[in-house]
Amino acid sequence: MTQAVSLSAPTSAPTGDTGLTWRLAWRNLWRNPRRTWLTAGGIAFASLLVTLSMSLQQGSYDAMVSSATGFYLGQAQINHNLYEDEGKLEQTVAPAGELRRSLEQISGLHVAPRVQVYALASVGQRSFGAAVVGVDFEAEQKLVSFFDRVTQGRLPVEDNEVLIGEALSRNLGAQLGDELVLLGTGKEGGIGALALTIAGLYASGRPELDRSLVFTQLASVQNGFGLGDEVHALVLGFDDIDKLAPNLERLSRGLPDNAELRTWQQLLPEVVQSIELDRISAVLFYGSILILVTFSVVNTFIMIIFERTREFGMLLALGTRPAIIMRQVQAEALMMWLVGTAIGLLLSNLLVGWAAVQGIPLGMMEEMAEQYYMPSRLYPAISLYAMSLAPLVLLFGTQLAAFFVTLRVRRLKPVEALRAE
Amino acid sequence: MKLLFQLSIRNLCRNKRRNAMLLVAIAVAVAGVNATNTLLRGYQYDMLESAINNLTGHVKVMAEGYVDDPNVKHSFELSSEQLPQLPEGMVVGWADRLRIPAVIMSERETRGIELVGVDPAKEDISFIGEAEIEGEFLQGADDGRVLVGKELARQLQTSVGRRLVLIAQGADGLNRERGYRIAGTFDADGTGLEKNYVFVGLSSLQALLETQAITELSVRVDREEQRLPAKSALRAAFPELQVKDWRELDPQVAEMFKFADASLFIWFFLMMGALTFGLVNSLIAAVMERVKELGMMRALGMQNSTVLVQVVLESIILMTVGVVSGTCVSLLIYWSIADGIDLSAYAEGAEMVGVSSVLQPVLLSEDVFLVAIMSIILGILASFYPAWRVIKIRPLDALRR
Repeated sequence: MTQAVSLSAPTSAPTGDTGLTWRLAWRNLWRNPRRTWLTAGGIAFASLLVTLSMSLQQGSYDAMVSSATGFYLGQAQINHNLYEDEGKLEQTVAPAGELRRSLEQISGLHVAPRVQVYALASVGQRSFGAAVVGVDFEAEQKLVSFFDRVTQGRLPVEDNEVLIGEALSRNLGAQLGDELVLLGTGKEGGIGALALTIAGLYASGRPELDRSLVFTQLASVQNGFGLGDEVHALVLGFDDIDKLAPNLERLSRGLPDNAELRTWQQLLPEVVQSIELDRISAVLFYGSILILVTFSVVNTFIMIIFERTREFGMLLALGTRPAIIMRQVQAEALMMWLVGTAIGLLLSNLLVGWAAVQGIPLGMMEEMAEQYYMPSRLYPAISLYAMSLAPLVLLFGTQLAAFFVTLRVRRLKPVEALRAE
Repeated sequence: MKLLFQLSIRNLCRNKRRNAMLLVAIAVAVAGVNATNTLLRGYQYDMLESAINNLTGHVKVMAEGYVDDPNVKHSFELSSEQLPQLPEGMVVGWADRLRIPAVIMSERETRGIELVGVDPAKEDISFIGEAEIEGEFLQGADDGRVLVGKELARQLQTSVGRRLVLIAQGADGLNRERGYRIAGTFDADGTGLEKNYVFVGLSSLQALLETQAITELSVRVDREEQRLPAKSALRAAFPELQVKDWRELDPQVAEMFKFADASLFIWFFLMMGALTFGLVNSLIAAVMERVKELGMMRALGMQNSTVLVQVVLESIILMTVGVVSGTCVSLLIYWSIADGIDLSAYAEGAEMVGVSSVLQPVLLSEDVFLVAIMSIILGILASFYPAWRVIKIRPLDALRR
């Protein structure tokens, strides 16, 4: 230490020259390279860790939203405004055909109509309760992945064909080609009935759906259950989910009075909430890491100030104002931050960039992933927000750390400081 | 050794401010890790509890083929009214149930549900035993009324005291249809359970379906690890039947459960990784500012190993104080949230990830202990490099500095 001070005597700027401040800051930083590397390493580690996990987090949310909306429910739906709460058969949206045609004018938007009625599904002597969904299979396939999961047979083509879950077919003891009788309550309290041929079986990966949803042509259900040109839902989806938000106003324009537009945030509150929960718990993690690193920066600056007490004393004795010295130290803190963040962000961007191309296989968690609407490979999101938040917090932290430590300079008495060890 | 210890303490006190900062950093790291551990454990235990409570139990006995085709045909009879011999104090409770898919109809609506015949006295091992009931709970195994979920009652537009019609398949493959009065509605965490289950007295359901059999025997043990001996005992007692523990029945939750174990470690290493930079930095500074004095002592005959021990000891003392204060802080945090964190605003999200709406932190002494030990080991490892740097400098050079 003594060595350092005596070798490079005029290290701090006696004047307010900014260019000099920076040059000196840079030089001072490398007076003790090991310490600088260790401190910058801490900053780099923290910024790498936080930016990386934020990117992964955002990527997993995006994946979750897109597979949740693309699974069955769609990005948005138009329903009768009481349907969500009460789910009554007569709570429909009409005229469905016209509404659908006008919505399809919007570029990039796919629309699929659905009606859903509850019925007793029987094959021979066996019966189970089921929800019968009347759909337009062609339109559905452009919107959701649900109908790609046919395991036997094919999607219904004819009016009298039906697609049922593997689990339900087992429960009913039914096979392809068997007749499935659906019996329920039609509109106006009449009896709704359909006799359909099982054309295909599906396995969605969700046993509760496989057991309860059966699909047939829209028109068949409408006719069989006394519905006219009415649907329970118009399922909406854009090619790119980012188009949804700017088009919301346009989508809800011209809807009948009793109809409402619900976006995926309302359709899938559990997804929104679990994202929110995850965000909150991540804050705990990020917060602790950033606080930790800030403390280690404080520590470094305490050391810096102590070992340079003599130097500061001399500068003060020469007439340098404490503010200039403090500015000098702040500049050093900034440089330290710069080195650390640069390394951290470089690594983080390399990793994120690599992972964004390759995807991170979720491996053993695959079956778990399915339940939480996750794909088997995770692609991190590349966003400015994820990349800049941690560095900015660290910038604030390092500046604050340096500031509080250097406050001491103002209390230094030149003579005593010069005598310091 | 005692001298070394005294020296270490004194050395640490020479630079109070820096070491205090370091202590704070260690304490933050330890407290952060511990606090997160309690939440993670809380989450993990809650997930386990929900999985077990959801009519699963730790171990379940079922007939072959029931899982694929939940039908009254895939059932078995419990010969006598007792469980096979299990070690004393292991079993908390057990319940026999007859559980089959059924159709439920009110005057207005029809839904598909799972109809569960239970002996209400035995159901203190599942969620229904603790659920909040509006109206009355089932009175006994022969109670011919039903208990439906609040959400289902709402969807069926019906209420306590009114009648419902249930259609289910009997043992002969033919459908049985019967009217039931609603004894009460239950309120479970989230709506999933409320929509799915309808409870009825076991013998009453058996009478309807003309059978003596049950479809499952669910056993709850005291501690999670005991499920394995319980499983083998049950396997021996029911060689013809399938005996599965909750991990096999609910593989997704089991996977999450294991994942939570792993994340405790991931979390620890990330936090301590961030801490290590500051720790090594301070230790190096502490050692390098004493190069001269250490050089003199070595010139006087102090052995390198003693220098090493001295530095390591300082690091251990620092770590220990930090760990102890960090642990105290985490205990304070734990007590302040011991009542649980209310997640009801996120109830559906919480249900999706399989936890209830109040997150109860769980403090395990072995976790705290493990964190403490690992931190101190980390402290020892971190002090090797600074110590090695000092030893590398020849005493003569050190003295000249």
